[in-house]
Amino acid sequence: MSDLVWKSMTELARLIASKAASPVEVVQAHLDRIAALDGKLKCYITVLGDSALEAAKAAEAAVMSGNGVGPLHGVPVGLKDLYCTKGVKTTGGSKILADWVPSEDATVVSRLTAAGAIVLGKLNMHEFAYGPEGLNPHYGTPWNPWDAATHRICGGSSSGSGAAVAAGLCPGALGSDTGGSIRIPASLCGITGIKPTYGRVSRAGVLPLAWSLDHVGPMCRTAMDCALMLGAMAGYDPRDPTTSVLPAPDYLAALTGQVKGLRIGVLRAFYLESTDPAARALVEAAVKTLEGLGASAQDVNLELPKHAAGASYAVISPEAYAYHEGWIKTRPLDYGADVRQRLLVGAFVSGADYLKGQRVRALIRDEVDRALGKLDVLVCATTPMPAPAVGQNEVAIGAETQPVRPNLIRFTRPFNLTGHPAASVPCGFTSAGLPVGLQIIGRPFDEATVLRAADAYQRATDWHTRRPPAAA
Amino acid sequence: MENLTIDTLWTLARAQGLEPSDEDLAAVLPLVQAGRAMMESLAAIPLGEIEPTSQYRIL
Repeated sequence: MSDLVWKSMTELARLIASKAASPVEVVQAHLDRIAALDGKLKCYITVLGDSALEAAKAAEAAVMSGNGVGPLHGVPVGLKDLYCTKGVKTTGGSKILADWVPSEDATVVSRLTAAGAIVLGKLNMHEFAYGPEGLNPHYGTPWNPWDAATHRICGGSSSGSGAAVAAGLCPGALGSDTGGSIRIPASLCGITGIKPTYGRVSRAGVLPLAWSLDHVGPMCRTAMDCALMLGAMAGYDPRDPTTSVLPAPDYLAALTGQVKGLRIGVLRAFYLESTDPAARALVEAAVKTLEGLGASAQDVNLELPKHAAGASYAVISPEAYAYHEGWIKTRPLDYGADVRQRLLVGAFVSGADYLKGQRVRALIRDEVDRALGKLDVLVCATTPMPAPAVGQNEVAIGAETQPVRPNLIRFTRPFNLTGHPAASVPCGFTSAGLPVGLQIIGRPFDEATVLRAADAYQRATDWHTRRPPAAA
Repeated sequence: MENLTIDTLWTLARAQGLEPSDEDLAAVLPLVQAGRAMMESLAAIPLGEIEPTSQYRIL
């Protein structure tokens, strides 16, 4: 296997721009790897081998002729299969849309390809993004590459994106995040992902799960690659009325490697106190590492995130039901049972409950804003535990046995309600060899500081460079 | 709050034009009950003059 599949996106972009690597060679290396491994890993729903190679040849010709190249020129990416792609089927991981071919690209797809990225294919996911495990009854459930023997979940809903990046089947991917769907698979698959501020990146042309909670973001092996992708994607879009006109900064320039003076709030109550002891120790060690780099840390206890489950239930259930109402009435059996049943729940939430959820949401947002008034970032584990096995419904967290599903999203969904930017970076491995993620939350529209902290941490550690056994 | 039953859910579902199976309703019932319990816990929060949030940060 070519070593090119383990290069970062920034390194690939540099090699291609300097003519040290051919885009054709890079794309072919990834296609070879997909052919070799994806039968087991099930990361891709659609592989676009022919069009990717065609684009790679055009990219190579542009480089050789000395034409200007974009920041992602010739660099392959994978797209979660809820991003509309012109002329290419976009299934949402569903049977309902198994043959749907959009007539135009999502805005972020247009922006990535305009920056020179080459789309390798469409990635597997939890059906219609409605599940934190990343299961899929229609296209097969992706295999977490960190355990070659046991079929463990990748986390969802962007499960194919997480597994593909971790296993070298693409160097970066688009995920989407309504309750943690970028950060959970990033954590469970040992990669880096960021959910930007709500309004920072356009959702136009992205199949919705819940309009007011959906976020679009990159999933890569490094924070620097996330900065590279986010820079190409971010900014106002007239097709999405929720996007901000606030200009996006140069995220790569923000990665100074310096965190001296950075004020970190370590989330204790509700967060670290409810985290598996092994994962908690790794998060504590990560904080020590950042302190060693010159940051300062203090404990923070937020009172309101304990109500995030109720507020989220009140908001996500009816929004998801509203989008699916037509299909759930006419094609109910074309949904997988778990998604159909979760969608039906939304039919029983009243308008008053929805608005109560939105009012509580305002309180939670204000509390997080107040905490970040005195601090630069907040940190905690991304998930309370590492990846469970497929079909496992309960997990031991410390001395207690807990249900898997609500605990997977316990630490991430508050920041979908509040809209704050939040990243997950790998911060170590359990004794079973499973990755653990550190969640870093920042002020609204300050993805730069979140990425700076994540990048500085990765310059001081090597967790993000480890390769999973199922990808060997 | 009155206890929900599968029959209650069936009536509510039919009123909205849904025809869920008994198996689906049996699976949905505990989810709705759990949701209602969470909503009841929100009732203790003093919301005062707080308005529903807007995620649209116009800047």
